[in-house]
Amino acid sequence: MNSQSQARQIQRVWQQGLARRQFLKWGLGSVATVAAVAAGGFALLRRSPRDAVSRPGWAADLSDDEFHLFDRAREVLLPVAGTALVDSAAIPVVQNIQRTLNYLDPVTRKELGAGLGLLDNIAVFTHGCRFVDLELPEARQMLDRWGEGGVLQRTLATVLKQLVYSAYWQDPQTWQPVEFDGPVSDKWGLSYLGNAPLPGPLEVSAQETTV
Amino acid sequence: MAFVRVPRDGVPVTQAKDVALDPSLGKRFTLKTDVVVVGSGAAGSMVAYEMAKAGRDVLVLESGRYYPSSEFTEHLGDTMTKIYQDQVGQVNTTADIIFIQGACVGGSTVVGACVMEEPGDAILDGWAEKYGLDALSAEKFRPYLDKVADELQIHTNEAHEINACAHKVIQGCEKMKFSWKPAQRNVKQCALTGHCLAGCPSDRKMSSLVTHLPWATAYGARVFSDTEVIRVKTRDGRARGLEARVVDPDSGAHVADMHVDADMVVMAAGAIHTPLILQRSQIPDRSGQLGRNLAIQPFTQVLGKFKEPLYGFRGALVGVQVDEFTHTDGYTIFSGLAEPESLLAQGDMKAGKAHINFMKDYKYYAGVNAFSKDLGKGYVQWDGDAYTGDKTIHFNPSREEFENMKASATLAARIFFSAGAEKVFLPTFQSLEADSVFELDAKMDKVDYGIKGLYTFRSNSFSPHGTCRMGTDPYQSVVSPSGELHDTPGLFVADSSLIPESMSAPIQWTVHALAKYVSDQINENASNYFIV
Repeated sequence: MNSQSQARQIQRVWQQGLARRQFLKWGLGSVATVAAVAAGGFALLRRSPRDAVSRPGWAADLSDDEFHLFDRAREVLLPVAGTALVDSAAIPVVQNIQRTLNYLDPVTRKELGAGLGLLDNIAVFTHGCRFVDLELPEARQMLDRWGEGGVLQRTLATVLKQLVYSAYWQDPQTWQPVEFDGPVSDKWGLSYLGNAPLPGPLEVSAQETTV
Repeated sequence: MAFVRVPRDGVPVTQAKDVALDPSLGKRFTLKTDVVVVGSGAAGSMVAYEMAKAGRDVLVLESGRYYPSSEFTEHLGDTMTKIYQDQVGQVNTTADIIFIQGACVGGSTVVGACVMEEPGDAILDGWAEKYGLDALSAEKFRPYLDKVADELQIHTNEAHEINACAHKVIQGCEKMKFSWKPAQRNVKQCALTGHCLAGCPSDRKMSSLVTHLPWATAYGARVFSDTEVIRVKTRDGRARGLEARVVDPDSGAHVADMHVDADMVVMAAGAIHTPLILQRSQIPDRSGQLGRNLAIQPFTQVLGKFKEPLYGFRGALVGVQVDEFTHTDGYTIFSGLAEPESLLAQGDMKAGKAHINFMKDYKYYAGVNAFSKDLGKGYVQWDGDAYTGDKTIHFNPSREEFENMKASATLAARIFFSAGAEKVFLPTFQSLEADSVFELDAKMDKVDYGIKGLYTFRSNSFSPHGTCRMGTDPYQSVVSPSGELHDTPGLFVADSSLIPESMSAPIQWTVHALAKYVSDQINENASNYFIV
């Protein structure tokens, strides 16, 4: 489905006044269907050398495909070589993503998984292999193109980038190279002020009032 | 004479772990009280304090966890996962607007940026005239606002509280001849850490966690955290208490069912959750307005890059505001630049090298939040049964609201260019940046309204309001001028849901004052509600 017909379809859905769940289900249902076709009809093309590699034990809440997608996205999105920034391999990016995904409610988590599955598999149609097997420049171009694409493409590209970038930048090791100070209260020895005293004329001391 | 002793720090809170360990409570228990307050943020804490001070037995139920300030780490990522609603994943139905809300004892007052602004006289007098809310006229309501200012130590930022980021805003405004002013904040002896959004570990922020909640408990109020209210109970048409569920905040395990028998229920769970609880309680609503009229004050985050390093993330988070357009167009722009992970909401979202280069320049950035007024046409809805159902927040910008958001963001960009910015990053889902003011309009024109404004501007909301609006007409409003629901005696609302129409000023100050007003209404008519 190209982005124009996709947009028309979305408009029809909205005009019918469908609610969020239906909208998302429609959108990601289509996604799942396409993904299923990709998974079935193009089974050969979608094979990846990564399929032979199981996810590590700590990634129990991700599927193998999700683990490989996030790990590849880390390499694609965070090319820090030649800069003072910390190598993303030294940061628990995928662990942090897993933790974030675990906070989602099961329905949203499932829908997101289907959407990201599409992002990985759709490259089979355009590039002859899955996203995880694209060369780095091609993978970046694809994400940038999706970032300018239809609503679902923009959403999925944004979600993937947001997950990876947040997972990287939330780690304190990444802050020093950009001169962000991080926590300062202890470092500065700030005094602790505690609870505010009771207001009003009855106040007799900072923490004690007679009534 | 008795002593009322406020603890030096912390709030005595009964948590899920305490319930689990208390054999006298068991898996199902009933509490009796005069007043049960649902929510512990700006409104709930105020009601709890005022009612407890008046001698009522008060029980406060908070669905979020208790996270005392001694545990704050100044690490936004950690904080977001623990005490923000849905881990900052509370979004509208199309998932392109984030509703940022605290979910902890103290509510959003704990994680807010301390920005306080009074509603203008024209707004208050407008409410009085349009909705018959005489008690909210400027003359009658201003004393409540003044009292809140005293209690929360609200002050106008002094020179040392205006950081380099804010100075760029001032510089731009001076060149454009736009009116600006130092922001007002509820903070005492601000230590200028810039970590407001992660909670204030030294308790300088005058959140409910260090003010009305400890004061309320000093007067005997009891506070339960981890306690999600399922439904309000009614008998013979009158509110009689509620049912709640105590849940372990870490494991999600169901710890116990709580029943509360009370003379009065006061809803203070905010403009999203208060109407949802009332909807799933099947509370009568003649007006059909319960959950409707949702106003969100959408804001986008605009970022300017300057030649010189600013370290705009250091110092007080919010320094100044641009008020040139507040009363004419409903646009207000506040300075502010936060932590790296929240910078992602403002900045370049391209893949790869472009993102790395963007983040490397962090110290050269100044940021603003560009607010615009909306029309208050959103709504919230509870679908399914009370236990397993789901909430949805319906808000997509109309074309007019979309144009307002665009205009506000464009003004913010112009201010930065006037202050000497080399580049401005536009707050759009498309990756757009302008290298000069001359290409700004052309770049903004690339943002097309499209289908319902979906995925155009990266918008957020801190200040939803209006979903149980107050008024005299029971066919047009949910809540009467006293704060009591038109159709359910003994059931009050005291939070931002009451605000009768969309307003452009930040709402926290107004909410505290409304809660104080509703408390007064209850206390002045106590004989109608309680056996004295």
